[in-house]
Amino acid sequence: MFDKNPNELAEKIRTKIVGHGESTGAFGSVWNGFKQALYGLSQIRLGLNTVAMHSLRKPTTQGYPEITPEMPPHFRGRLALTVNPETGENLCISCRQCERVCPDKCIEITAHKSPETNKLELIDFKIDHGLCMFCGLCTEVCPTYCIINTNDFEMADYSRSSLVYDLKKLTLSKEESAYYFEKKEMPLPKPKPAKAAAPAAGATAAKPEAAAAASSPKPAAGTAVAEKPDTSPTEEETAKPPDDKPTSSP
Amino acid sequence: MFTNVREWQKFTVLSLGWLCVIFGAVWIACWVVGIFIPMCLSNLNFDFSRILIEICKAITPIVAVMVFIPINAMFMVLLERRALALFTMRNGPNRVGLDGCLQTAADAVKLLLKEDIIPTGADAIMFTLAPIIFFAPSIFGAIPLLAAVTNNHELFQITNLPTGIFYVLAATSVPVVGIIMGGWASNNKYSLMGGLRSVAQSVSYEIPLVLSIITICLLAGTLDVVTIADQQSGGILNWNILGGGALTGLNAAIGSLLSSASRPFAEIISAYYPQGLLSVLGVIVLCLSTIILFGIYLIGACAEINRIPFDLPEAESELVSGYNTEYSGIKFAIFFLAEFTNLFIVCTIATVMFLGGGDCPLPYWLNPLSYPAIAEPLTKLLAPVFSVLINNLHFINPATFWAAIWVIIKTYGLVFFAILVRGTLPRFRIDQLMAFGWKRLIPITLIIFVLVSFARGVINFHV
Repeated sequence: MFDKNPNELAEKIRTKIVGHGESTGAFGSVWNGFKQALYGLSQIRLGLNTVAMHSLRKPTTQGYPEITPEMPPHFRGRLALTVNPETGENLCISCRQCERVCPDKCIEITAHKSPETNKLELIDFKIDHGLCMFCGLCTEVCPTYCIINTNDFEMADYSRSSLVYDLKKLTLSKEESAYYFEKKEMPLPKPKPAKAAAPAAGATAAKPEAAAAASSPKPAAGTAVAEKPDTSPTEEETAKPPDDKPTSSP
Repeated sequence: MFTNVREWQKFTVLSLGWLCVIFGAVWIACWVVGIFIPMCLSNLNFDFSRILIEICKAITPIVAVMVFIPINAMFMVLLERRALALFTMRNGPNRVGLDGCLQTAADAVKLLLKEDIIPTGADAIMFTLAPIIFFAPSIFGAIPLLAAVTNNHELFQITNLPTGIFYVLAATSVPVVGIIMGGWASNNKYSLMGGLRSVAQSVSYEIPLVLSIITICLLAGTLDVVTIADQQSGGILNWNILGGGALTGLNAAIGSLLSSASRPFAEIISAYYPQGLLSVLGVIVLCLSTIILFGIYLIGACAEINRIPFDLPEAESELVSGYNTEYSGIKFAIFFLAEFTNLFIVCTIATVMFLGGGDCPLPYWLNPLSYPAIAEPLTKLLAPVFSVLINNLHFINPATFWAAIWVIIKTYGLVFFAILVRGTLPRFRIDQLMAFGWKRLIPITLIIFVLVSFARGVINFHV
């Protein structure tokens, strides 16, 4: 109202409402000042009214610790490995694309070629969430939709070493996987094990259905489970929620 | 539209609870010191009992103020935070206690336990004196208002001065010394800047503030706050905000018309407005003038106590926190306390000077309690319930009680309005502030002063 050099828009509005210098002389300038004062007061009243009316609206505050907000599907939270929602086997095929594409080099995959099935077999999968910058490149390159960004973001911890998640901590349960497959609208994995396991290893193909329910992700053979009991988690282990980490699955 | 019922409900419950705590505490403290202890002493009747009774009665106003100020400041900080949260669609403090009702109590404890730091290079004596000088006027300046807000209760009569409002205005202009002392003694250029700005601002805005009050005193014909408050009794038409008594005649005339009293309508009108049309013109001029004066008083008061939009001395975004940047612990707490107490005091002055003090806003001919047909049965009904409290223990003085209730409502209404203004308006620029004060407010108040002194001549006041 008392600017010497008001910006153009304000000047335009003001001239539109109070007019601009049409009255001259001593009385005219007083009259102009009076009109401007009235205009300023009406603007202040408008502002007060707006603010007062806002007090009738609901607060937009999200009560975060009590109410966890519902994240959008592509929210880039904690990284995790999905399992087949039906069979519960790990979907990782150890192609190492995520490891290669990671700009921070925070993914470390340990795998070896199984002598029996002649396929890569996942031994361990480590992600250092302290290094990760949540760019989501690994989830884009993953051919089997195995590595995903979950909606969980509550990852505060007491030490850097506890931010390095291993396979056991990373693997989601069947229910969580089903939730994310549905939420992110990812195509469900094909029922591969039944077909793939049968021609590859004829001897052990006798029990693919039985193995699917309770065996390790890739090695469908009972011998493989016996050889590496600690590196390849069983269905019971993976079904557990990842060590005392709250997840936002339903 | 009104989707925020829950937050408003919380806000109301919190305000009412705190108000009960504040005024309950003040009431009980005053009663114990001013009435109960003297009663016990007069029964004991030993050598010094008479002088002890006198001392007790004399310190009652001080006890009232000392109990009132800290609790009230705590409540007002909370009120401000919750109200700002309402205006900005947030939740506000809601952790400590039920819905955050103890937040400021926790803050106060934190501030009192903090380390008290005097920065290197600071003038230690001045640095320590500054908060005291800032805070003291809000105690001794508020005392003369006590009689006016309690309907001249006998315990507070000793605080009343014949030149009460003059004294109050003098006292409220002292804190600026504390501000510049604090700013200068801090050895910090931002603090000094804040202090200097504060002086410039306070000196500029004190003039329209005082001129607006003086105009009201001119209308009232006295500087005594109790008399000014008394003159305004009898409903909103008698208040100083509507003509400063210019509408009293109209009020009386309507009252006589409704109650068919002995004096006829025309006689009263001609007694109050002897000049005919000229008097009508005078009434219109006076009504407009006093409304404008009320606005100017609010603006000047806002500037005087450094509240947004006149918070240039503090200006968080420019001067860190202005004059109190270097303060911590109990000294900062005192600055904080004084700021909110000053806000309360200027709102109380506005209530007493413009809004009729402890007067019910309903004109007396609309107020059911002023008709004996309704008032007497009600009194009879309530008398047995409260007779012990009123007559035996003197715990409640009905006249004081209702006056206090109205003063509380009006004053906190104004405080709420100040918070609304804070939530709305951005800060002034310093040159705009100065131009507004010297080129607009002071000429306007001077013109109104002259207009009022002429318009006063054509109307009979307070006959």
